[in-house]
Amino acid sequence: MARLGRIRPQSEEETELNMVPIMNMFMVLIPFLLMSASFYQIKAINTSIPVHADTHANEVSSNNKTEKITVVLELKEKEIRVSGLSETPNDLFLSDLKMVIPREPGLEAPTDELVDFLKALKSRYPSSDTLILIPDEEVLYREIVQTMDSARDFEKERLFPNIVISGSLG
Amino acid sequence: MALGKSKRRSRKFVHPKLMLTSMMDMFTIILIFLLFSFSDHPEDLKLDEDLELPTSTAKSDYQETIKIVLSQRELRLNDEVMAAVEGRQVAGLTNDNLENSPFFQRLNTLRIESEQSESSQAPPTHILFLCDKSHSFQTINRVIKTAGLAGYPNFQFAVLEE
Repeated sequence: MARLGRIRPQSEEETELNMVPIMNMFMVLIPFLLMSASFYQIKAINTSIPVHADTHANEVSSNNKTEKITVVLELKEKEIRVSGLSETPNDLFLSDLKMVIPREPGLEAPTDELVDFLKALKSRYPSSDTLILIPDEEVLYREIVQTMDSARDFEKERLFPNIVISGSLG
Repeated sequence: MALGKSKRRSRKFVHPKLMLTSMMDMFTIILIFLLFSFSDHPEDLKLDEDLELPTSTAKSDYQETIKIVLSQRELRLNDEVMAAVEGRQVAGLTNDNLENSPFFQRLNTLRIESEQSESSQAPPTHILFLCDKSHSFQTINRVIKTAGLAGYPNFQFAVLEE
């Protein structure tokens, strides 16, 4: 018992963790991770330009759920014109599917109005997924990308993901 | 003097201790941050100083393919300088001579080479397009139209994730 009593004070001595090896490991890991870290993420927007193709007769359906339209979005300096292009030859331009949204050149596009209209078009023709974007020559690339973002999807809801970019014919 | 010496000698020498706790905290935070931002697919694309990509909500990844870079100063095709950009216009690339430009000729050669190659890989069908955000559509249109004429109508517009 007396011996045990003598041993106890030794075990209660303060012990210190040797942090130096951990620090060494950190000093190796951090430069390695810093070198391999990327502080920007590059993503891609899939798009295409119109190509000459043989025309095929489209199946005409009176049902809006299967009927497809192609949305034409003209991105002008001072306005955005949206219209619907039917794939039915009898009614090529859908007169009731038109909207003009004014915009300030160089400023952010009025996305809310545009998205609302595109959502309405999508709900009316749910199987439609193609949009032809026709920017004016003076429109900047960042404005084109911003408009493509608005047209592609809204809060996980797919609107018109197939975007064809085209120069104006006029 | 003698008194002073004896006073100094009587002090116990204390081994200096490094306070590593705060440094460990800092390193732990940095390590966690870097581990979270660690990517097993590091960006192969190096962005030049004169190339500022627009930001976008796009989530798709780009694919390794033919790369066209339209920076503020030059037009490059797979790191080969094709033309200079002068006053926001690509030199030598006008609407009436798109098919005579060196850019078109080089793209056309690439397409023919990829079609004739006997490798098991399918020839690239699209182009990765890196364009400075300040360019106008007039400038961009000539570049993408030339690529379309050379047989590449599909593009991936490179953007920075928002």
